[in-house]
Amino acid sequence: MSSTPPGGGADAPPAVELRGITKRFPGVVANHDIDITVAPGTVHAVVGENGAGKSTLMKTLYGMHRPDEGEILVRNEPVHFSNPSDAIKQGIGMVHQHFMLADNLTVLENVVLGAERRHGIGRRARARILALSAQYGLGIRPDRLMEELGVGDRQRVEILKVLYRGAETIILDEPTAVLVPQEVDELFDNLRELKREGLTVIFISHKLDEVLSVADEITVIRRGTTVDTVDPAHTSARELATLMVGGELPVPELRESTVTDHVVLSLQGVTVLSPEGRPVVDDVSVDVHRGEIVGVAGVEGNGQSELIEAVMGMQTLSTGRILLEGADITEWSTLRIREAGVGYIPEDRQRHGMLLESPLWENRILGHQTRAPSVRGPWLDRSGARADSERIVTEYDVRTPGIDVVADALSGGNQQKFIIGREMSGEPRFLVAAHPTRGVDVGAQSAIWEQLREARAAGLAVLLISADLDELIGMSDALHVILRGRLVAEADPTGLTPEQLGSAMTGAGLDNAEATEGDPRADRTRGAEGEDGA
Amino acid sequence: MTENAPRTLAAPVVFGLTLALGVVTTVVLDLALLWWAALLIGVGLAFVLVAATAARTRDGSSLGATGAQEEGTPLHKVLVAPMTLVLALVTGLATAWILDLQLIAEVAVPLGALIGAGLAFVLFHRLSAMLALSFAAVLAAGVLAVGVTGAVLQLSGIAPMETFGRMLEFGSRPDSMVQIINTSTTYYLAAVAVAIGFKMGLFNIGVDGQYRLAALLAASVGGYLMLPPVISQIVIIATAVAVGGVWAGIAGYLKVARGVSEVISTIMLNSIATGITAYLLSTDRLAVELSTNNIGTPPMPESSWVPGIPAGFLGSDNEIWGMIVLAAVVGFMYWAMLNRTRFGFELRATGQSKTAAEASGVDVKKMVFLSMLFSGMIAGLVGLPQLLGHSHQYALDFPAGIGFIGIAIALLGRNHPVGIVFAALLWSFLDQSAGILPFDDTPQEIAVIAQATIVLTVVVVYEVVHRWGRGYQQQQIGKQLGRTVESSGEAK
Repeated sequence: MSSTPPGGGADAPPAVELRGITKRFPGVVANHDIDITVAPGTVHAVVGENGAGKSTLMKTLYGMHRPDEGEILVRNEPVHFSNPSDAIKQGIGMVHQHFMLADNLTVLENVVLGAERRHGIGRRARARILALSAQYGLGIRPDRLMEELGVGDRQRVEILKVLYRGAETIILDEPTAVLVPQEVDELFDNLRELKREGLTVIFISHKLDEVLSVADEITVIRRGTTVDTVDPAHTSARELATLMVGGELPVPELRESTVTDHVVLSLQGVTVLSPEGRPVVDDVSVDVHRGEIVGVAGVEGNGQSELIEAVMGMQTLSTGRILLEGADITEWSTLRIREAGVGYIPEDRQRHGMLLESPLWENRILGHQTRAPSVRGPWLDRSGARADSERIVTEYDVRTPGIDVVADALSGGNQQKFIIGREMSGEPRFLVAAHPTRGVDVGAQSAIWEQLREARAAGLAVLLISADLDELIGMSDALHVILRGRLVAEADPTGLTPEQLGSAMTGAGLDNAEATEGDPRADRTRGAEGEDGA
Repeated sequence: MTENAPRTLAAPVVFGLTLALGVVTTVVLDLALLWWAALLIGVGLAFVLVAATAARTRDGSSLGATGAQEEGTPLHKVLVAPMTLVLALVTGLATAWILDLQLIAEVAVPLGALIGAGLAFVLFHRLSAMLALSFAAVLAAGVLAVGVTGAVLQLSGIAPMETFGRMLEFGSRPDSMVQIINTSTTYYLAAVAVAIGFKMGLFNIGVDGQYRLAALLAASVGGYLMLPPVISQIVIIATAVAVGGVWAGIAGYLKVARGVSEVISTIMLNSIATGITAYLLSTDRLAVELSTNNIGTPPMPESSWVPGIPAGFLGSDNEIWGMIVLAAVVGFMYWAMLNRTRFGFELRATGQSKTAAEASGVDVKKMVFLSMLFSGMIAGLVGLPQLLGHSHQYALDFPAGIGFIGIAIALLGRNHPVGIVFAALLWSFLDQSAGILPFDDTPQEIAVIAQATIVLTVVVVYEVVHRWGRGYQQQQIGKQLGRTVESSGEAK
């Protein structure tokens, strides 16, 4: 499937070379010992799971932050970027996943904005834009208003912006995430055109079929480091997936079933409308029983977040009911729902689960600010909260020097373990677990799975949302697939493969999973349609 | 000294030795040197003793606020130790100087030394790096502000040191000190009102309008209603609180119900309050004519006044306003509310992260409304020290603009109930001590320049230092846990 061979030839110096790049953030190592060599005139793909460190790496390359160790070489010359304009001077440009365009300006104005010095803002600029557009087959009309353009056109404008600034190496961060299938094909044609003209493209993605169809070389990143660089001509999607996930990782699995007949949480025709009045959660009905983990799989942005928020009382339902052990909690406030014994592991722990600047023991109170042991009447029970924080730190193996440490100082995994410990206290009946192991190191991951299993055995009902398909398959007693806000399929996780689930998530359905495996383009086509609705 | 003992020393023993060394040295040297020199040397020696025995002092509490072992770390050496020395010396000197106004020098100086030496021990072992960092930031900002003000003076052709000397001398006169305390009572209340909003991420610019309206109506109640003592004061205070609360509550309601930014609405409400007070303060309505060019509400009967506290201990014949007690109570309640109550926790949580608060079941809208309401209720009190302790009526010359000063002081005091005390004192010290400058033909605006520079530098320096400190702290914790590359085992 891989197309034209590298245009630069073997002798040309690499367009970009990363050697031993390490980047640490407080408490975590986002990248370590990254080695990538990008040959000129090629499309070089960087693949990895969500949270593997791809974006961090590209931000390093684009000068948005500096690496703690290692060096960047451009055409064999070591360079140091302190900001993106340094990177642009070296001919490295980036197209972000989220476009940075002003809707009320024309294409021309958007392109020259911030680069007025290059060719002015008038006729010369227009001529340059038209020339670039013709040269790379972008088909851009400079005088159209940005708000009239579709997503694909906008992306081409972003690419043109980068070219206009003189980039010879272009980083594309998840460029297909926002495109419909036809647009993806057009984008790939554009990329081949860029390559033919001698430019280098670094293509970030986690969609293996796309990568295989467009890249000349593929570097796999796993848990912050480069695992291997492979030739797409001699690699299958399955091999890539194995590299991405890694064989020796802990395997999520449940032991004997603990599911009972007793329904803890029942969603009945739950519908949530977006501010524009479009249904983001559409007529969802699910029962979660005592001792059962119900997984919801879906491409991000298909209504999972809204579904969770609806359960937690943070979203208003337009129709439908939510019952907690028979009691109608549809109209209840978040606080009342929590007090009724619903624990919540939020998908974004830093935004929703923690007060980063407060000590751990104060974070113990968060979400439990009306219950013992944290409070007594209107007063905080400091010693109670502290003692219980100590308990969580011991029981859940939170690695911290003490409970007076500000939450920010802990690594993501330890923050998460603390949150789980907190949400498990007070004997919850029901737990909403959104991405419980996202951005968490391996050790913490298996610990968290073990805690979920124990709680399940003790009779907890869990609604599990995750982007990690292995986790979903391994940890769920029942699996639902959500697409554009609707539950489109229900599956028995036993014997299900991530590939089958993945194709179901993109709307291909579970039955023809086997068929689509051989034809990645088919399921991608439908998958992109799903994302269009997001 | 016994610090050569190879074994560890019990903390109380070292503490006692430190106190003894500080006091004895000071008393002995006091015979030969000036009192302050003796005290400095005494406290300094006590500090040296503490530092020398630190490694061998058995004290279970040498964990900093971060829980990390801080003693012996570079940060502790370069930051906590010097800050301890500075704070111990300054506190010792200040204590001795204030006590000297009351007691004979032979008693005051050793007592100052005692306090200084004690503080040296306690701070050396207990002061957390983060707090020391804050002190250092404030100190650095102060030095910077003095430098800038000095430079302005120099450029204007005025000798800076001489001017500072004059201000210090005038500001420390007994009558000045009473005035400073009284003014800062008012400032303190205004700053607490603003700080409640800040803690929540709300900017109540409307304290100014809130307190003026509240003071006018409270003064009218006091002037027109003849009530028995105590009840009268309570009614006046309650009126002020209610008016301030209602006025700020309007902004709170608009924010919650209509999403109107409280910055805009409180500014507008300030203007409206100005209009309303001007309308009400006319002889046709609430006011009576006081003199040919002044009108105001009728003076309150003496039974409605709040008696002052004689300031004889400062050497002044003037009185400290009795409402200082109310300010102290408000300060304590603010502290207790913030740190000890569920409401305060929810308020801080919302201020830190609205999203996290919401996900935790905090009713953010309710919090916005209530904190605006409370802010306004405290703001209503701002005019009362002046009203009940001094002017006893609301006239055209009633002080205005205190609400804005309150914003600066809240920033300066970092919204901390104790920090605001010092900020208010500093502010009113500058206000008061600048009063001498016109007599020397020095422009009085020097004080304003100093105030502005201090606020700017404190805010900027504090923020910079704080950010750096947090990064450092995270590093330290990372090191302590030995968690460098957890996942490196994964790499092939």
